Amino acid sequence: MNKHSVFLKEDKCEGCTNCVKKCPTKAIRVHQGRAWIKENLCIDCSECIRTCEYHAKYTQTDQLADLKKHKYPVVLVPPSFYGQFSADIEPGKIKAALVRTGFKKVYDVADAAAALSRKTFSFLEENKGSFISSSCPVVVRLIKLIYPDLLELLLPLKSPVELMAGKIRKEIKVSMNISKEEIGVYFLTPCPAKLTTVTNPLGLKDSALTGAIGVETIYQKVLSCLGEVKAAEIEAYNTLDSAVIWGQSGGEANILKSKQKWGVISVTGIHNVKSVLEEIERNNISGVKYFELVACRDGCVGGVLNVINPFQARFNIERRVAQIVSQENGANKQNKLGIKFNFDMDYSFIADNQDILDADFTRAVAKLALVDKEVEILPGLDCAACGAPDCKTLAEDIVNGLANRSDCIFMLRKEVGKLADKMSNLAHELPPVMSRKEEQHESKTDS
Amino acid sequence: MPTKIIEKEIEKLDFQSGGEASSQLKNKLRKLGVTNAIIRKTAIVTYELEMNVVIHSEGGVIEASVSPENLEIIVSDSGPGIKDLDKAFTPGYSTASDEIRKLGFGAGMGLVNVKRYADKLNVETALGQGTVIKVIINFN
Repeated sequence: MNKHSVFLKEDKCEGCTNCVKKCPTKAIRVHQGRAWIKENLCIDCSECIRTCEYHAKYTQTDQLADLKKHKYPVVLVPPSFYGQFSADIEPGKIKAALVRTGFKKVYDVADAAAALSRKTFSFLEENKGSFISSSCPVVVRLIKLIYPDLLELLLPLKSPVELMAGKIRKEIKVSMNISKEEIGVYFLTPCPAKLTTVTNPLGLKDSALTGAIGVETIYQKVLSCLGEVKAAEIEAYNTLDSAVIWGQSGGEANILKSKQKWGVISVTGIHNVKSVLEEIERNNISGVKYFELVACRDGCVGGVLNVINPFQARFNIERRVAQIVSQENGANKQNKLGIKFNFDMDYSFIADNQDILDADFTRAVAKLALVDKEVEILPGLDCAACGAPDCKTLAEDIVNGLANRSDCIFMLRKEVGKLADKMSNLAHELPPVMSRKEEQHESKTDS
Repeated sequence: MPTKIIEKEIEKLDFQSGGEASSQLKNKLRKLGVTNAIIRKTAIVTYELEMNVVIHSEGGVIEASVSPENLEIIVSDSGPGIKDLDKAFTPGYSTASDEIRKLGFGAGMGLVNVKRYADKLNVETALGQGTVIKVIINFN
């Protein structure tokens, strides 16, 4: 089972260091002309997929063919998926088209997002201090890896996808009377990070999802099914909660802001998220009760597995939300079976402790001193020609025996220069007994 | 035998790089596998002390050393010295100028927070000469 969802297509990798430099956790190194991802440092943020001009980084999601493994396959649609279609296409039509691609039933994650927003309200009311949204799995993994001291600020509630998956599993079991294995709960994922949560859930023993299918793998099929959808099929699915706004940047914050009770800010883009986490760590942001932090710049519509340009997708979602608000059809929430969302996680989020120099404290301290020394020696240009993102990371790799100082071309050049000087000096130093013979030899060969 | 892991000069009124030392120290502690609670305490304490030097002094130096038992942070400056130590540890008391307050600093919580998170705190100050603040944060 893979720990992550972003992989390298070796034959396509040119060995440039673009992804190495863009990686927010410094998880990539170029070795033997290929950009390898260090599994223990990867947070599935997709920055390398976005950066690579040669399309050498990719994600392997589940396929429609996988549905056949289950008697009752269903799909969960994220809010961002609606950004892939014009707001003129009714939600019922999009969902009915999805049914035609091979699912028994379609569910909106927006319903769980709406419920989570309500739950978040009461949580913030009951708890002192500031909190960080835990809905973006990349942000949760980033905090686990680099800002473990902020773990206690993460909202200790399930993400909308897990909430929905858990609830419908129960519903289907009760209403259809079929076994757990016969139900296939698939998520239509906009990003590799959410795919990873299926095999590596956060704060849960097991994910309620069976798998995740990338939007790009199903999009064409949905488009072609749209035309075949009949009016009666649309009717069954035509509600959509205005929480569909979660699909775009600032969506979650927008809902929480509506009560105007607390300071809520929205920060998107992994590098912006990092800078805000630094400030939170220093206790240097005041008046903010809740942080919506999302790894993709445009929110979930900016996920790399989406098809439509994120700006267009945001526009589509904004229009759709405006329509819903004006029609007020978002209030249609029947819960026939009375099954409620279970917001509780199985465990609290825990630190990864992957990015350390040594498991033994004393050895780690000694290594830290060696790293500082190595940093002094290296040129400090952060050119990445060695295959590490910067000199400091190369220094750490050298100390841990994963790289050599001569991997740095400037150090190599210096060493070669020294060696050349030494050779030239040696060439002029002849043993006394040789010097006369050498002269004779030279005059002979000259004539 | 404590090992020095950071030594950095802090410049007067340099708000651009203010916070760098605490950032570097925090990253180093993380690389050492120090626990979350300690890192959080350290981040807050060093940032407050660092900004105190930036705001109030004529510049100074921050040093941190680790031993298996604890972390020791020493921040020394060549500043005006602290006039009234009791007041300096009173929540809300600040001598920061209006300009500084406009930047969002000088809320009078700096040393109060330092005291809250430090396991040991020692302040030596002399008017017109400077201040040396020593903080110890225990690992256990």
